[in-house]
Amino acid sequence: MANAKVREFSIKWGFLIVMGVLFVTFSILQPAFYSAGNLFNILLSVCIFGTMALGETFVLIIDGMDLSIGSTAAITVMISAYSMVVLQLSGVAAIVIVLLLGAAIGLFISFLIVKVKIPDLLATLGMMFLIQGLQLIPSGGLSIGTGAVLGNGKVAQGHFDEGFKYLGQGRVFKVIPIPVLIMIVIALLVYVILSRTKYGRVFYAIGGNPEAARLVGVNVNKYKVIAYVSSSIIASLAGILLAARVGRGDVGSQGTLLMDAIAAALIGYAVLGVRKPNPFGTILGAIFIGMLMNGLTMLSMQYFWQDFIKGSVLVAALAFTFGLSKKK
Amino acid sequence: MFPLFKLKGRRMNLSSRPIVQVENIGMSFDATRALDNVDFDFYPGEIMALVGANGAGKSTLIKIICGYHSGYEGRILIDGRDTLITCPKDAYDVGIQTVHQIINQGVIQSMTVAENLALEEMLSPDQPLFYDYKGIRRRAAEIAGLMDLDYLDLDAPVFTITQSDRQMISIARALASDPKLLILDEPTSSISEKEAERLFETLKKLRNKGVSIVYVSHRLHEITRLADRVGVLRDGKNAGLLEKPFSVTNIVHAMVGEINHDPVRKEDVKADMNSVKFEARDLVVEEGGNPVNLKVHEGEILGITGLIGAGKSELAQVFFGINKPHSGKMFLKREAYEPENIKDAIKHGIFMIPEDRSNNAVFPNFNIRQNIVAPFLDNFANRLSILNVGKERQEARRMVESMTIKCESEEAPIDSLSGGNQQKVVVARWLMVEPQLIILDEPFQGVDVKSRNEIGKYLRENIGKSGAIIIATDIDEVVDVADRVLVFNSGMVVGEQKAGEIDKDQLIHWTAQAPEEILN
Repeated sequence: MANAKVREFSIKWGFLIVMGVLFVTFSILQPAFYSAGNLFNILLSVCIFGTMALGETFVLIIDGMDLSIGSTAAITVMISAYSMVVLQLSGVAAIVIVLLLGAAIGLFISFLIVKVKIPDLLATLGMMFLIQGLQLIPSGGLSIGTGAVLGNGKVAQGHFDEGFKYLGQGRVFKVIPIPVLIMIVIALLVYVILSRTKYGRVFYAIGGNPEAARLVGVNVNKYKVIAYVSSSIIASLAGILLAARVGRGDVGSQGTLLMDAIAAALIGYAVLGVRKPNPFGTILGAIFIGMLMNGLTMLSMQYFWQDFIKGSVLVAALAFTFGLSKKK
Repeated sequence: MFPLFKLKGRRMNLSSRPIVQVENIGMSFDATRALDNVDFDFYPGEIMALVGANGAGKSTLIKIICGYHSGYEGRILIDGRDTLITCPKDAYDVGIQTVHQIINQGVIQSMTVAENLALEEMLSPDQPLFYDYKGIRRRAAEIAGLMDLDYLDLDAPVFTITQSDRQMISIARALASDPKLLILDEPTSSISEKEAERLFETLKKLRNKGVSIVYVSHRLHEITRLADRVGVLRDGKNAGLLEKPFSVTNIVHAMVGEINHDPVRKEDVKADMNSVKFEARDLVVEEGGNPVNLKVHEGEILGITGLIGAGKSELAQVFFGINKPHSGKMFLKREAYEPENIKDAIKHGIFMIPEDRSNNAVFPNFNIRQNIVAPFLDNFANRLSILNVGKERQEARRMVESMTIKCESEEAPIDSLSGGNQQKVVVARWLMVEPQLIILDEPFQGVDVKSRNEIGKYLRENIGKSGAIIIATDIDEVVDVADRVLVFNSGMVVGEQKAGEIDKDQLIHWTAQAPEEILN
């Protein structure tokens, strides 16, 4: 009996306790860790893949997987840079264009999954490659910045809109970074939709038993489309934040965004022992990754350890979620 | 009139010894008792048919014998020796071979006929490093010879040959290892009649060679022609063992339980027979099918029974907007009713509790409350679509109490409930709002007798002005609850009786009639 209680307790609080212990340890070993500035740095490092992870959560809930979000964010960076720097459009126009592009990508992915019936993992893997290639075509494979020489020999005359850059670099009251605020707003929105509205309930119903959902009158395919479109649009939003922060269209901007986002969402399963994708867990998972990386860097951990540690944390969290909490 | 009708079957004449015996076999899945104390003996040189309604435990028993389920109770004797079967290899090693229902799971489509026939040799570790197709082909020709399959082109890929040939390949391969017991699970469910005839001839030959065959099927008419004995399962228990001569009527008698000639329902029918709630007029479900006419009245519970494949569920799916009818009309409260889809049917107040609870109805990740409110989330959402969980709890609690669902609270996970209580949750889901017509398709599958009675009682007491259709293969399940019973056979209504004048023998006769008899 006592054993069962311990297990129940550790399933529910284990993740948060580990997170708390880690926080305290870092703070003791390196007092600069818990300065307000550094804490915002952590959030800043998290907000782009954290936002993407919130979109991925929609897809994970319906028992799907979207591997294309990293390249969707990357193409957003390139196209918004291209719009402003090459086409000399306004920041607002650039934002509208890339959000529409994100929606179009989501619609195309859902077309592949729902109509062509390609398994989600394969469809989004294919799209990942496709978009990765596509993003390089407009600029002829080069990064886009003011003064860059384009493939046709012309020099790009435009520049990043100041308002656009503010989205990535600005701070409210000179303290709170704008992208962090945006992530928090999106997180709240996603939380309300998924955990409080009837739509969220339907997403979870589809994830639990799609046939039963169909037989209580749910248009399952419609919700699949909504999930993939949401995921892609949110990935585009994250791409906007990234472009605004970097201030140029960098061909290598994608980095480890996809894996970090998926890891955050999966680590989120373990938060409070809910064993399912959930927006609150996703955000905590993202912050956990950010905190770990920040703390270890401060303790002079070498960069090449980072992916190994992230991976270990992910595997441990999954083992915890699926192993320890297995039904008696 | 019943030849050798026994509950626990040991054959009296011991001219030959049983080759495989199962004794006191029991099996539970979570709270559901799938098999309870089941005994069967299988003799060499006979075809033993195994029958029972869906959920009666046939497939569980088969899966235990062929090593798929390991946590069973009781014991299995092979040649009289106690043998533990915990994995498919154990079963294989003692000479039990199974040909499963889904033909295409038994063959590898992209490989040739020869490779499929000699699959075992091909995958054996003794094969030379370099693939010896000629050797495989030689062995395949031997195996094909066992079943007179010499006409098959050994080099043709399997996806180019017919379903029945694919099945013959599976059977031939099973025979190649010279099995003592050959189990065939629903072998005729996806082949044509002509192909089935060929299968029967083959099986008879095998029997004459001394193979013991277990034949699982819903098609009772073919069983009467083929089988030497029939074992019947009902609610996970032995329900009879029939020896020749038997008829479809005998088998149905055993499947539906003890024959009780007293009318089960004595109380008056409350239905208002003057006001028609729902009507199907000349409704043809599928092209070439027979037109169906039926009416459900206000406050009436209409029972529909008939064997599996008689067309009951298909009809319900048309009522619920899942499929469109081929022709004919439906009326709800005298107005034309043409549901666009399931959502539209629900909007009209026509609800359906589908058969096979765990695959079609239960959300395993939801608690009881979330399972109950699932179809009517709009009733709990405000203008911003935000759900009012307090209101959900209140409604869920009301349904939990009125349906006497046994649980810790309405917030308990659904899988903490027994099968019967889970079914109550699924029923509660659709009775939370007053339906125009509620259809219950096989609502008592995997439901204990107590829960079954409670669900039936609840339905009768709360039918109000709604109409209900209850569909079940088990005649008792229908007769207990319904005000009027229709019997389906070959996609048409072949008989009707009212509560109070139920004659089960007649119901069984209608159920068991061969299609040829009906048409005359």
